[in-house]
Amino acid sequence: MSDFVFATAQYDSGDWDSAPLLPANVIDSIARYTAIDVAPTGVIVPLAAPALFRYPLVYLTGHLPVRFTAAERENLRAFAQRGGLLFVDDHNHDIDGVFHKTATEELARVYGPLREIPNAHPLYRCFFTFEDGPPTTSHELNGWGDNLVHKTLSGAEHEGRLSLIYSSKDYSSEWNYHPDNKRFLSVDNTKFAVNLVVYALTR
Amino acid sequence: MPSRADWRRGVERALRAALVALLAVALWRSVRASRPGPITVTAHSSDLREALVQATTTDRAGRLSVDVDGSLSRAQRDWLAALRRAGVQVSWRGAPPSLAASAGRSREPVARVRIRVLTDSARTIVVSDSVGVIDSVHAAPGAALDASDVVGAVTARAGNFAATADALARSERRDVLVLGRAGWESRFVLAALGEAGWHVRGRLPVAPGVSVSDASLLPIDTARYDVVITLDSTAADLGPAVARFVGQGGGAIVLGSALEIGALRGVVPARASERRPGRILLEGDTLTRADLPIRPLVGARLDAIALERQPSGLAVAIRRAGRGRVAAVGYDESWRWRMQGGEGGAAAHRAWWSRVAGLVAPERSPASAVAAACEADPAPRASLFEALGPPTAAANLADRPASNRLPLLLLVLALAALLAETASRRFRGAS
Repeated sequence: MSDFVFATAQYDSGDWDSAPLLPANVIDSIARYTAIDVAPTGVIVPLAAPALFRYPLVYLTGHLPVRFTAAERENLRAFAQRGGLLFVDDHNHDIDGVFHKTATEELARVYGPLREIPNAHPLYRCFFTFEDGPPTTSHELNGWGDNLVHKTLSGAEHEGRLSLIYSSKDYSSEWNYHPDNKRFLSVDNTKFAVNLVVYALTR
Repeated sequence: MPSRADWRRGVERALRAALVALLAVALWRSVRASRPGPITVTAHSSDLREALVQATTTDRAGRLSVDVDGSLSRAQRDWLAALRRAGVQVSWRGAPPSLAASAGRSREPVARVRIRVLTDSARTIVVSDSVGVIDSVHAAPGAALDASDVVGAVTARAGNFAATADALARSERRDVLVLGRAGWESRFVLAALGEAGWHVRGRLPVAPGVSVSDASLLPIDTARYDVVITLDSTAADLGPAVARFVGQGGGAIVLGSALEIGALRGVVPARASERRPGRILLEGDTLTRADLPIRPLVGARLDAIALERQPSGLAVAIRRAGRGRVAAVGYDESWRWRMQGGEGGAAAHRAWWSRVAGLVAPERSPASAVAAACEADPAPRASLFEALGPPTAAANLADRPASNRLPLLLLVLALAALLAETASRRFRGAS
């Protein structure tokens, strides 16, 4: 019986550790809402390391330009082919930003063209129900970044299953706080993180 | 005391009597030959049909001798056996090679057909199906080959002799139900079987009272499912239903803590013991099935068959239960094999799970496939021996020359008796 371990991707370029509080917050939500056996702390896993394959769900974020090394690219390709799911979030919330431009370019080299994930996708219904697709973040509503509310996420599939989820919604900022501070929120904004994990573990 | 002349007259009378007797025998034979009597029919494999028709439609057939220089069909063998039971003396000679063929299709959605041929001496055997030649193999004493698919019966031919085997038609598979907690094992078992072509459905509890599951999972019966996989004890509430499903002919794969579910204890082949950790991987290592954590199977039932063993103990066992089959699997976290197994890990993981599911899945052969299997002739030489017994020695089969030379012999003897009697009378001066 193996616990679910939340893994954050470390890559050579950029600031991969820009949301250091996010893992603990997501782990707290999983433990709070589900019966999934979750490891109490997350791990950091280099994208180019064989250890990547020990964590079939990996979270990647950053603000700065992303350039994968050949080893990172090759590892990611194998990761997708074996059934791994990479969740990438643009910490800038800016489709004109350097992270979005470079990350989507790099990801397309590994996964092929990114496609819109329909809002009726099981991702939005596998635990909590999000009728309108990905929940809006406060950073979108505040007009930061590209001043847009992104209606959908995008991604890529392998063998009929999502192998990549790409978000421009800046969940990295939205969920990057100490879990104890959830008590100050009228609605827990990390519920979608639970859906992400449940989807990865069940589909 | 009789004189010499008396002796001579006695001999002459004896010769006349012998002559009359010989003429009587010749007359009897002649009269007998003019009456219809048993005939002998001789045939080769190639013209056996005509001979069978002749031997069947005439009431004078006394013997049917077959020179087996090519394969006899199953119908021809049965026909010969029926003639023998009807009183015809059936015999055969020849040296058909020992040739046998089998074709097996695993019960997987995307299943290759494994063809095996056996023969008694090294020879080239051409393997074909109803579409054409598949391959040729040099079998000594046996060989196996895989075909992606075959149409109709598989024929293994060596010269004029052939063995045919029927690979059951690909049957439509029903769903596989995966029961286990939300986790990587459940997720990757679902993925592996789905990629292997199985229709998979799952019920994965995520929180108390909340499961991620496909719609309309119940009831668990053979009309919906071929196989139920219980990965852990979260399937306990469905244990009785799974046991009933197996009794009806369904297949089950039971792992880890699910082997302790009370309702399943009566059907599982073994129990799981304490978990033993897998091999510690070094940088760059890849993982094989033997490296996985394992809960060795213990307390195997007498009718359980061990399928896989690892150094730490029994890993997979299978048994029949009711009308179905149950496999117990001791491997834990098989998903690591897929993810950390190097380039071939995912394919190997997929193939292994599909194979185990195929082992317990029920056979669902359409009626036409069963009828076709009845026409197969997988071991023709053995069947020939079974139907007609061993071949007859060649000398016994040859027509007896004495019977053909008897009239000539009778004529020579009659002429000799006549000549001697006449000469005797002339020499003593009688007319």
